[in-house]
Amino acid sequence: MAGIELLSDQGYRVDGRKPNELRKIQARMGVFSQADGSAYIEQGNTKALAVVYGPHEIRGSRSKSQHDRAIINCQYSMATFSTGERKRRPHGDRKSSEMTLHLKQTFEAAILTQLYPRSQIDIYVQILQADGGNYSACVNAATLAVVDAGIPLRDYVCACSAGFVEDTPLVDLSHLEESAGGTQLSLAVLPKAEHLALIEMDSRLHQDHLESMMDAATQACKDLYAVLDRVVRDHLQEVTTSIGE
Amino acid sequence: MTMTSLQETDVLSSVQPITVHVITIGRLASEACAVNMSPWKVCVPGERLCSTEVCKAGSGTYIRHSFIFASLAGYVVKKNEGEELPVISVARETEAQLLPDVNAIVTCKVTSINSRFAKVHILYVGSTPLKNKFRGTIRKEDVRATEKDKVEIYKCFRPGDIVLAKVISLGDVQSNYLLTTAENELGVVVAHSEAGVQMVPISWCEMQCPRTHAKEFRKVARVQPEYLMP
Repeated sequence: MAGIELLSDQGYRVDGRKPNELRKIQARMGVFSQADGSAYIEQGNTKALAVVYGPHEIRGSRSKSQHDRAIINCQYSMATFSTGERKRRPHGDRKSSEMTLHLKQTFEAAILTQLYPRSQIDIYVQILQADGGNYSACVNAATLAVVDAGIPLRDYVCACSAGFVEDTPLVDLSHLEESAGGTQLSLAVLPKAEHLALIEMDSRLHQDHLESMMDAATQACKDLYAVLDRVVRDHLQEVTTSIGE
Repeated sequence: MTMTSLQETDVLSSVQPITVHVITIGRLASEACAVNMSPWKVCVPGERLCSTEVCKAGSGTYIRHSFIFASLAGYVVKKNEGEELPVISVARETEAQLLPDVNAIVTCKVTSINSRFAKVHILYVGSTPLKNKFRGTIRKEDVRATEKDKVEIYKCFRPGDIVLAKVISLGDVQSNYLLTTAENELGVVVAHSEAGVQMVPISWCEMQCPRTHAKEFRKVARVQPEYLMP
């Protein structure tokens, strides 16, 4: 390992977390009024903003339309100021296109698209500050935004990343831990039914370790679910009291 | 090192009350449900509501493994509609986006006409306004039920007319919503004459301008009396 010690002898990570500990999460729903649904989430220093429009008539080429379900259109972008070095293109590069595709797959698994044939649902996500776990922050923000928009979901989608250092799985990797170059696993689950919406792993890992890493990531997604659930319930309560019921 | 420990306690203090809170909400909700204290039970997507043997699934829910689950965040509403099983559905503060469905009566505005069809924007489904407009088409053969081959579009609709129509199909790859006005109750309800005055219907196929008394052809709808404003 190149110099930096990701897990100390006492079992703490560089930022002082335990291996299975998430970063602090703060989230808000309904941050924009002009969008059908919107949400903002902070996971540690990673900040993401998601807006949802639709379902509406298909824009662009009509040949994309599906006669039995809605199509989901995603766009992932990173603000030019989100990284240490200023980015040239906020979206459209290789990495963003891949992320866009992943988001699309994740939400096609979760949204009940068959209820809206021949229409389109737009999900736009932007990373305002990138500090590791961009995919998971985007998925979590987009879930809250979709719930806010009132689009029917099978279940929340919770996403979390995991790494593997010194025979220990680490969850919710920060930028420092990601850039150390170890294995990284991104997992999106529907936590109630424990269905996998997306799983992605880059670089190699011994087969024996995969299960422990998956278990750690799944548990982290469930912890995240508790936090998202609280945010949604608080938001519902807030909306009700403001209306005066 | 002080910073690290600070962050750690921060994370811990933020996580612990959350779990406690969730448990209390869950317990309160189930208690309220058990003694039927409050009709408002909050639910979130993916929450199991009940078995299909107890209730029928309404809007905002879906069925999996013979259980009813919520698909929206909102309030659980149980309604007994005279059938054996009550219908369980999830209500929200703001109505979710509605889409024109087959057989729905829609209110639309004519945007352009040609000899084969009239293009319209769908503005209302039933009595619910749509947030964004959907495009639809009324083909020549769907304008009226009789003498279909003698229909001339320009004698039935003009751009700007407000038309009541029924959705017959969601359309295919090339076309959008297909609408029909082939019923006495469907057709033009509001039209303006060349003088810019709203016209009055004088027969099922003619309207007259109250200022110039000029007659214009339209496929006039016989509006049901219960929909007329007093």
